[in-house]
Amino acid sequence: MSQIPAETAGDKPTSRPQRRIGVYICHCGGNISDYVDVDAVREALKDEPDVVVSESPVFACSDGTQHDMIDAIKDQNLDGLVVASCSPKLHQVTFRNVAKRADMNQYAYTQVNVREQDSWAHPHDHEGATQKAIGLVRAGVAKTRLSDPLEALVVQTEPRTLVIGGGIAGLRAAIGLANVGIEVVLVEREAELGGWVGTFGPTFPNNVSGAEEVAGLVAEIKSRRDITVYTRAELTGKSGSFGNYDVQVTAHRSDSDKVFEVRVGSIIVATGFDSYTPDEGEFGYGIDGVITLPDFKKLVDSSTGALSYNGRKVRSIAYIYCVGSRQGAGGNEYCSKFCCTATSHASLQVDKLDPSIRQFHLYRDIRAYGRNELLYNESRDGGSTYMKFADDDAPSVAKLPSGGLAVSVTDLLTDRRPLTLPVDLVVLVTGMVPRESKSLVDILKLPVGSDGFFNEIHPKLRPVETVVDGVMIAGCCQSPRTVGESVAAGLAAVAQSAALLKKGFAELDPLVARIDPEKCTGSGECLTACPYECITSIEWDGRKVAMVDPATCKGCGGCVPVCGQDAIDLLGYTDAQMRSAIEELITDAEPVKEPVA
Amino acid sequence: MTTLVNLNLITDLQKFGAAEINACMSCGNCTAICPLADNDATFPRRFIRLAQVGLTDDLVGSKELWTCYQCGLCTDRCPQEADPAEFMATARRYAIAHYDKSGIARIMYTKPVLGGAIALVAGLFFALFFAAVSGEQSKTSLKLFDFISYPVIHTVGIVLMAVVALFSLIGVVLLARDIARHDGVTWKSLFGSGAAWKRTGKALWYALGIESLGQKRYRQDCADDEPVVPLYRRRWLIHALTIWGFLGLLLATAIDYGMDMFGLKPTGTWVPLWYPVRLLGTIAGLSLMYGVTWFLITRWQKRADSEQHSLPTDWLFLGMLWVTGLTGFLIEVALYVGPAPMWGYWVFLIHVAVAMELVLFLPFSKFAHAMYRPVSLFFYGLARDKALQSV
Repeated sequence: MSQIPAETAGDKPTSRPQRRIGVYICHCGGNISDYVDVDAVREALKDEPDVVVSESPVFACSDGTQHDMIDAIKDQNLDGLVVASCSPKLHQVTFRNVAKRADMNQYAYTQVNVREQDSWAHPHDHEGATQKAIGLVRAGVAKTRLSDPLEALVVQTEPRTLVIGGGIAGLRAAIGLANVGIEVVLVEREAELGGWVGTFGPTFPNNVSGAEEVAGLVAEIKSRRDITVYTRAELTGKSGSFGNYDVQVTAHRSDSDKVFEVRVGSIIVATGFDSYTPDEGEFGYGIDGVITLPDFKKLVDSSTGALSYNGRKVRSIAYIYCVGSRQGAGGNEYCSKFCCTATSHASLQVDKLDPSIRQFHLYRDIRAYGRNELLYNESRDGGSTYMKFADDDAPSVAKLPSGGLAVSVTDLLTDRRPLTLPVDLVVLVTGMVPRESKSLVDILKLPVGSDGFFNEIHPKLRPVETVVDGVMIAGCCQSPRTVGESVAAGLAAVAQSAALLKKGFAELDPLVARIDPEKCTGSGECLTACPYECITSIEWDGRKVAMVDPATCKGCGGCVPVCGQDAIDLLGYTDAQMRSAIEELITDAEPVKEPVA
Repeated sequence: MTTLVNLNLITDLQKFGAAEINACMSCGNCTAICPLADNDATFPRRFIRLAQVGLTDDLVGSKELWTCYQCGLCTDRCPQEADPAEFMATARRYAIAHYDKSGIARIMYTKPVLGGAIALVAGLFFALFFAAVSGEQSKTSLKLFDFISYPVIHTVGIVLMAVVALFSLIGVVLLARDIARHDGVTWKSLFGSGAAWKRTGKALWYALGIESLGQKRYRQDCADDEPVVPLYRRRWLIHALTIWGFLGLLLATAIDYGMDMFGLKPTGTWVPLWYPVRLLGTIAGLSLMYGVTWFLITRWQKRADSEQHSLPTDWLFLGMLWVTGLTGFLIEVALYVGPAPMWGYWVFLIHVAVAMELVLFLPFSKFAHAMYRPVSLFFYGLARDKALQSV
C-alpha cells in the first residue's frame, strides 16, 4: 500500500479557496476523555490547514458550549464546523442547528464519532485510541474542507390523508386527522366499516362492546364533512412523490367499477389481520365441537343464559392455546400476544353465563401483560384451571364414542401426568396472520417482514413510519396487537401525518444523488440500481440521460458505484470529499497494534 | 397411562370449604415453607393441583393429607391468599366423606342444618332410650347401675361399636389399599422377608408410638408458634393432652371392665380416690378436659390458622368430647359428695347418651382423623425407611 507522506497531505493546491473551520473535541464527561487524550487531539488539529479554532469542551452539547460555538462562528467568520463527539444519531441535528443559528450553512457541519467508534471500543489502549481519534478528526476536517453550501429541499404538501382500512385503527385515525384539520379519504374493501372489532361483543380490558364502540365511531365519521368514505373500494395506483401523492381508488359497484384519483399528502395503511385457520385435523379441527377462537367469541357473544353448541348444552370447555402461533421454523414463529388475554376474557364471559361450566386452559406460556394479568387472575379465581404443556408435547383431541371430546395433555404442573379431559367443547385459541395484500404492497412499495406483516422503521423509536416517506402503517397490519394498541398506533400515525402536513411544506435533506448530464451516457445502469425508483431517463441536449428526482431520493448512494462514467455524486458525501477524508485518515497512521489481551 | 380426570372434583370439594383455592397459581411457596414437606411427602401445592385438575383417587388416597398438622405457615406465606392450609383441611374432610360409604359424613359436612338435626336426633334417641329403660333412683347412695342397668349400657355399647367398627374398618381398609397402590406397597414388601417384617414393625412403631402418642413432628417441626405461645397452650401439647386423656380414659374403662369380668371389683362400686384405676381415670379425665377446653377457647377466638374456618361438625366433635368429660367429672363429684344427689342420675344419663353418640360419629366426623392419620403415618414411616424401598 502506498502511503502519502505527511508533507504531501499538507501541501494543498493553492487554487483551492481557503476555508475557516472550527474543530471541537468533546470530553463527553469522561466517556471519551478517560480513554482518548483529548488535549493531544486538540493540539494535533490546531495547526491543520484551514483549522482556525480548536477546542476541547467537557460537554460539546451543553448549552454554554453551543453558545461558544455560535460566538466563534460569528467572530472568526467560520464556514465549516467539525465536532468530534458521539454518534451522529444522537447530536447531528443539534450541531446542524448550532450552525444554522450562527448563519453558517448547516451542511458544512461534520460530526465525527469518537465515542462509539473509538473510546468505547478501545478502553484498554489509550494511545491507540488517541491516534485513531486524531485520524478520524482529520478525516472529518478534510470532508468539511470540500463541502458545498447545500440548501434543504422544500416540498409543498397536500393537507389530505388517504386512510386504507376501516377497522378500529383506521376509523380512529380518520377522526383524529379530521380533528387536527386534515382532510381524510377513507377506503374500505368490505361493504361495511368496522372490521374485526365491529363484530365483537364485550372486549377486554373494560368489557366495552366492540360493536357499540365502532358504531359510535362510524356515526362520528358520517357527521364529518371532511371525511369521505368509500366502501367496497381499494387502492389501485399511486404516483407522485412525498407530500403530493396522486392515488387512484377503484370503487367496486354492482354495475361497474368507478375509478378516480385524489391528491394526498400522506397515506395511512391500516388493513388489519386475518385469523389463523387451522389445517384439517390440526388439534382435531374438523371434528364437531372443535372451534376457533373467533367462532367461540361469536358463540359466547350471542349466548344468553346457558351456553350451547349445535343444540348441545356445553358443560365443560378445553381451550388449546398458541394454535397457529409460535410454530416451529417455517410456520408462524411469532406470538400473537392478544389471544391469551382474549381467551381469559372469554372464559370470564362464560363464567357470567353459567359459573358451573368447567373450563380448562391448556397453554404453553401465558402472555397477559400489564393490566391484562388482572383478567388472567380473575379467570383463575372464577374456577378456570390452567394447564401448562411442553413445547414439544402438544395436546391431542379425539372424539369419544359417547359423542363428547377427549383432550389428552401432559400437564407440567401435575407431575407431568398424561391426563385426559372429557369435555363438550374444544376451543382452538387461534392467533393472527397477515392479510394477503400483494397489490397494496406492490403499489405502495410497503416493506414486508419475514412474518408477512408490514415493517415499521423501528418498533419503538419510529413505530408507524415506513421507509417510504409519507406512508405510515398502523394496527394489526404491522404485527398482532390488541384493540388499544391498534388505536394507539392509528393515533400515532395521525400525529406523524400532522407533523408532515400541517406546515403546508416539508424540508428534505439535500443529501441526495446528482447526475452530471455531461458525463452521463444514458446506459440506464442506475435506473435498475435505485430501490426507490427515483431515477428516470430524460431527453437532454438531444440524447438520453438519467435524472434523479431529489424529493424521492433517499440518499442511499446505491446508484453511485454502478455508474461506469463516474457521473453520479452523492451531495454531502462526494467522491472528492470521501477520497480526501480517507487520505487524511491514513496519513501518519501508525502500524496497527495488536489488541491488548 | 393417561388418567381420565373428574371434571367436578374441585366444585364438589369446595362444598367442604377451601373457598379461596381457585386463586392458587401453583407457585409452590407453600411446599417450600412447609416444615413437614420433604422428598417422601410433598404438599400442599401438589395436592391443590390434584384437586384443581380432578384426580380424585390421587387426592383422597394419599398419606400426605394426613401428614399435615395445619400449622398455617403455608397460608401466611401464600402470595395469592389461596389459604392452602384450609385447603388441606378441606381435602381431609373430603377424604373422610369419600371413605365413609354411608354418606352420613358428607351430610354432616355439607349440609349443616340436616347434619345438626341428625346429631340432635341421635343424641335425643340415646337419651330417651336410656330414660325409657331406666330403673329406680336409690336415695341412700348413688346406685347408677340401678338407674340404667349395666348390661343395657354394655349391650348398646357393643352393638354401637360393631356398627362403628364396620364403617371404620371399611374406611381404613380402603384408605390403606389406595395409599398402598399409589406408593407401590405390596404384601410382599410388608411381610415378604425378615427385613420386610422389621421395616413394617418400625413403621408401625413410628406411626403409633413416635407420632400418634409422642407427637414428635407436631412438637418439633410444626413448632412455629413456640417463641410466642407459652408452653401450656402450645397446640401440640393441647393435642397430646387430649389424646393421652382420651386413651387414659379408654384404658381405665377397659381395666374397670376387666376387673369386673374377673370378679375383682364390680363396676360402679365405691372406691377411694387413690384407687389406681380411679386415679388413672381422674388424671386422664383432667388431661382430656384441659386439652378440649383449650381447643374450644382457641377455636372460638380463632387464634390459630387452623381455627379460622370452623364447621358445625368441628364444634360437634369438640362439644361432645367436652360434655362427656364434664359429665364424667360431675358423676365423680356426685359419687363422693355423700348421700345420693338426685341430679347425679340425670347427669349420668346425659353422660351415657353423649358418650354413645361420640362413638357413633367416629367415622362420620372430625373424629375419623384418629384412625386415618395413624394409617397414613404408617405409610409415611415406610416411605422414610429407604432400606427396603425396592422390595
